[in-house]
Amino acid sequence: MSLKRVFRITAPIAALAFVFPVARAATATPIQTYNSTILPILEKHCFECHGDGYDKGKVAFDLLESDKEILEPILWLRVLNNVRAGLMPAEGNPHLSADEQATLERWIKRDVFRLDPARPDPGRVTVRRLNRVEYRNTVRDLLGVDYNTEHEFPPDDTGFGFDNIGDALTTSPMLMEKYVAAAQTVVAQAVPLIARQPVAKIDTGMVFDGKGAGSKWGRRQLTFDTPADVATAFKTDLAGTYRVKLDLEVNGSYFPDPGKARVVVKVDGQEMVNQEFVYHDEKVFTFESRQKWPANSNHAVTIELTPTAPAAKKETVIDFFVNKLHVEGPLEPAHWVKTENYERYFPREVPKSRDERRAYAAELLGAFAQQAYRRPVTDNTAARLAALAEATYTQKGKSFEQGVAHAMAAVLASPRFLFKLEEAAPNSAGGIADVDDYSLASRLSYFLWSTMPDAQLMELASRNELRKNLNAQVERMLKDPRAENLARNFTGQWLQARDVEGIASNPRQIILRDAGEEETQRKLRQAFMKQDEEAIKRLNDYIEQVVDSKPEFSKDVRKAMREETEMYFAYVAREDRPVTEFIDSNYTFLNEELARMYGVPDVVGKQLRKVTLPAGNPRGGMLTQGSALVVTSNPDRTSPVKRGLFVLANFLGTPPPPPPANVPALEASEADFKGHEPTLRDVLKVHRENPACASCHNRMDPIGLAFENFNAYGAWRDSERKQPIVAQGNLITGEQFTSVSQLKRILVNDHREEFYRTLTGKLMTYATGRGMEYYDVDTIDQIVKRLDEQDGRFSALMTGIIESAPFQKMRTTATVTAAN
Amino acid sequence: MSKTIDRETLLKIRAAERFESLSRRRFLRGAGAAIALPAFASLMPRDAFAARKAALKAPTRMAVVYVPNGAIPAAWWPAGDGGTNFELPRTLAPLANVRNHLQVISGLEDLCANAGPDGAGDHARAGGTFLTGVRIKKTAGSDIHAGISIDQVIANQIGHNTRFASLELTCDAVRKSGECDSGYACAYEYNMAWSSPNQPLSPEHNPQFAFERLFGQGSPKERVANLKRRQAEQNSILDFVLEDAQGVARELSGRDRQKLDQYLTSVREIEQRIENTTKMRVENPEIDAPAGVPVSYLDHADLMFDMLLLAFQTDSTRVATLLMAREGSNRPFTDIGIPSGHHDLTHHKNSAEIIEKVQEIDRWYVTRLARFLEKMDQAQDADGQSMLQNSMILYGSGNADGNRHTHDNLPILLAGAGGGAFQTGRYIKAKPQPLTNLFLSMADAMGTQGIDKHGDSTGRFSA
Repeated sequence: MSLKRVFRITAPIAALAFVFPVARAATATPIQTYNSTILPILEKHCFECHGDGYDKGKVAFDLLESDKEILEPILWLRVLNNVRAGLMPAEGNPHLSADEQATLERWIKRDVFRLDPARPDPGRVTVRRLNRVEYRNTVRDLLGVDYNTEHEFPPDDTGFGFDNIGDALTTSPMLMEKYVAAAQTVVAQAVPLIARQPVAKIDTGMVFDGKGAGSKWGRRQLTFDTPADVATAFKTDLAGTYRVKLDLEVNGSYFPDPGKARVVVKVDGQEMVNQEFVYHDEKVFTFESRQKWPANSNHAVTIELTPTAPAAKKETVIDFFVNKLHVEGPLEPAHWVKTENYERYFPREVPKSRDERRAYAAELLGAFAQQAYRRPVTDNTAARLAALAEATYTQKGKSFEQGVAHAMAAVLASPRFLFKLEEAAPNSAGGIADVDDYSLASRLSYFLWSTMPDAQLMELASRNELRKNLNAQVERMLKDPRAENLARNFTGQWLQARDVEGIASNPRQIILRDAGEEETQRKLRQAFMKQDEEAIKRLNDYIEQVVDSKPEFSKDVRKAMREETEMYFAYVAREDRPVTEFIDSNYTFLNEELARMYGVPDVVGKQLRKVTLPAGNPRGGMLTQGSALVVTSNPDRTSPVKRGLFVLANFLGTPPPPPPANVPALEASEADFKGHEPTLRDVLKVHRENPACASCHNRMDPIGLAFENFNAYGAWRDSERKQPIVAQGNLITGEQFTSVSQLKRILVNDHREEFYRTLTGKLMTYATGRGMEYYDVDTIDQIVKRLDEQDGRFSALMTGIIESAPFQKMRTTATVTAAN
Repeated sequence: MSKTIDRETLLKIRAAERFESLSRRRFLRGAGAAIALPAFASLMPRDAFAARKAALKAPTRMAVVYVPNGAIPAAWWPAGDGGTNFELPRTLAPLANVRNHLQVISGLEDLCANAGPDGAGDHARAGGTFLTGVRIKKTAGSDIHAGISIDQVIANQIGHNTRFASLELTCDAVRKSGECDSGYACAYEYNMAWSSPNQPLSPEHNPQFAFERLFGQGSPKERVANLKRRQAEQNSILDFVLEDAQGVARELSGRDRQKLDQYLTSVREIEQRIENTTKMRVENPEIDAPAGVPVSYLDHADLMFDMLLLAFQTDSTRVATLLMAREGSNRPFTDIGIPSGHHDLTHHKNSAEIIEKVQEIDRWYVTRLARFLEKMDQAQDADGQSMLQNSMILYGSGNADGNRHTHDNLPILLAGAGGGAFQTGRYIKAKPQPLTNLFLSMADAMGTQGIDKHGDSTGRFSA
């Protein structure tokens, strides 16, 4: 269905209301309108399958009895979606006229959903825990510590395809344990516990050089087998006591070994270590000495290694690494310097008296908690935190700084930090209110940046002026480097681009299948079983040759694929391009390796950059990017079904229902294809001959098959199993295409509205942290209209979402007041 | 049993063994060493009274090990009418060394995983109902609802005896983004244990973290002290945040309140754990912690089993779950020459070649189990028995025939006699009954009281 058609509909609605019977809707009850106006439309277009004794898909309109059944929103949401997508009335039945569709839509929205365009329902967002991406970013902004939550925390459960959905994010005891431990670790890393300390100089072992000095893994390597004599020299300026610390490591291979070596370490000629080392698989030894050094003096540290027992086997090497040299001093307090970052956390000197100390602690912790909780805190909160700090720093041997750090850890484990607690502005009316400025600041920052609001947002919120400056702020935020998070986390999940780096894929198998060499592989397996060395070598060499002739699907390529999709999204957002370029364009983002995979010439270097594609190259748009092609494939072959579903679900918003509960066994064994091994098109054809499968697979498969020229790791191919690839097909809505490029144009030209609506729904879900409900239909329609009026510019989508009721407002049944 | 194995299979087993021995990591040697120690020392309780009791009886432990996508029935079920005289079929052949500890049980079913009015989604249902025995709510995320799982029901009664009431582990390190099975929230597939209908207990996938959670961070000598120091610091933090959470929770209602309640429950549980640590001895396996998640799935699986073994051996917990892979997992098994995804293969179109591959995967999983059970068998318990004898390791899937998504006659085996509650070395052809019936019997063996109904159970297990 084309957009033009919709706007023929929506524009004259007001006029229609005066002319047609719909005008009576103002006085008629929803049921009366149903009987007088809606039923006749249904009878005309739908009863063929959904009435008069038929109930396809378990829907029979003439069997709706009670008012409640008739006005069931879930049923009518399905009707609305299917009619709008042109899926209903089904093939062969006359479509609704524009007027009929307008009447139906209006009744559904006003009478069934009871939507009031003047007072849109913001819906209900369940309180959202920070997910692990948000936690990581927030802690980085708050304390400057990069805590790898992807490594440390369990994955977050997802809902509606995203990992920031309040309802889906749970807190288990294990996660809580990890939160508390993370709080302790992060604070320990960030907050200096002493104000001043001696100057320290730390060098890697690579500063040692001389006889027998090797290197391995970027470290200075000696071995138990080779005599060595290495040294380093340095100069100190001030007179005083110095601490010299040396980290050495014995690192044997897997098997224990009788090899031994004697090592002598000297500082300025004086022996510091003289010891025989034996085999360890991995053990670090730390030696320390104190030196009294005069001003402006020169020093040398030497390490001498003498093998004392030979290694048992030649191939067993026992490495002896020189890890680190640490020279610290003078140790006399008069020479100490300010600790790095100390003033960030402790801007003044720690006072002496108990009262002053407590007041200072309350001041520091109150300010920290305000940042961490993303809203002002009460004096009571600050006082409780100060008391917690005091309980620690008044213990024997504990410093004031340790006490404050301890209380900071408590802040990071508090629900006020871990959850996005929201509050209503005081303008609540009829159960709906604006969220307050602080909540809005957090909604914005977690939407666009996946992190806490920065100082500017907080400052505007504190003056209640964020709404006044909303557009300027959004513009500023989208230009900020932190906006990369939107590209990464939204496309990462909308298009599963996140998964491309980790998904199982077997390029070797894919290449051999594409090349029709599976039989060779079977022969190789047989040769292995027969231990026929000659055949093994011959077949193996041949297979290697086939595999090596293709570009490598390496780790770097996978990463480039993810980045390509992210950069593409970021570009459309930043440059305010039409969102239809997500489907089709003449550019993408490539580096040399990815360009080779895509067959695009003249791209040199590792950095991805915007590349205008040569004429006729089918890669423009996100559908034909490696990330989308790979995540919709099986480990060893493409999956046209998954690809078709991917387009329907993520671009057209019409995923077919899941397969029936008892999938009929697909008996089409591969033996049916005499003469050649079946291509996926062959197999799927048999599949669709089964009527139980056809109704949905007729929608998915032709779309998926249009992408068959791209193999399971996203490279171009002309044949599969030695059969030429045919990309031709037609959509269930009738449009015919002969190539994937043509399919893209059809999607952009004839299905633009569905795409706008789908993209809006996905981005709204991500922005608000809840799934879209029937009462969001009006909100989404308005944004779609805006997109159409502004040629699909990204900014129309973005501002549409940010200005919408679900983003700006909340229901006021359950709110949290200021932290107390 | 070896006579039932053909030459080709034998070659594959040998190749797998060789592969395994070459790819052993440093840690595994350590774990092997620990397992050679008598478990006895580790299990001696502190006070004399308890010691006297322990001298009479070692604790019973249970673990549930889940494998996805069912098993090819023809290669899973032994021939014959059951009883003690049965031959291990092809898939179970790797269990030859612990055959006498096994009960292969047919007839068990998980009918809540059938479609009913909910339509597609057999994988999500098979996973979500396996230990809960209830119909799970079909929702993409707004209102997940399963039921409490049997391990948690049992842990609620006996969990106070150990530092950890229960332990949840998984070998699935990576999650897919986007949606899961047919409109079911991903939570149903990735979590086996549920402490309440809407609180899944996320499992740990990193063996290093599992280890450090049990025994503390740092070198073997320092780790227990580190654990205690950390926990001591945590006490006042937990008091503070508990007060915060109570304040917040008072102002919330409905689902918001539920989220804060999860937080509160979790904080209280940690407090309990810390208290337990001061009362109970932390047994320290004097070995290095594993170094993160291994690259190879085989190593990963073995390490997670080792963590389970260590947890039992040190009596850190008596109830555990281990998810080998989420239900519906499409993992390829390249190291045994199977590059296609497991799930895709299970829809095998009756192709003999594909069925063969699925059987290989089924046996790959059973081989990992066998290695674990053999170690359990070699570990000596407080009463001098094999630790396996005193335990119950339930292994199986919520799908029976992965091709057709059936949920009756599930592939289930129970290893270990539960301290004598079960007679092992049998193939039991039981009459059709809910899997939850077996859970009730297992709960009895765990020493719980009054658990007479769980999910769809109709009574205790009876052959």
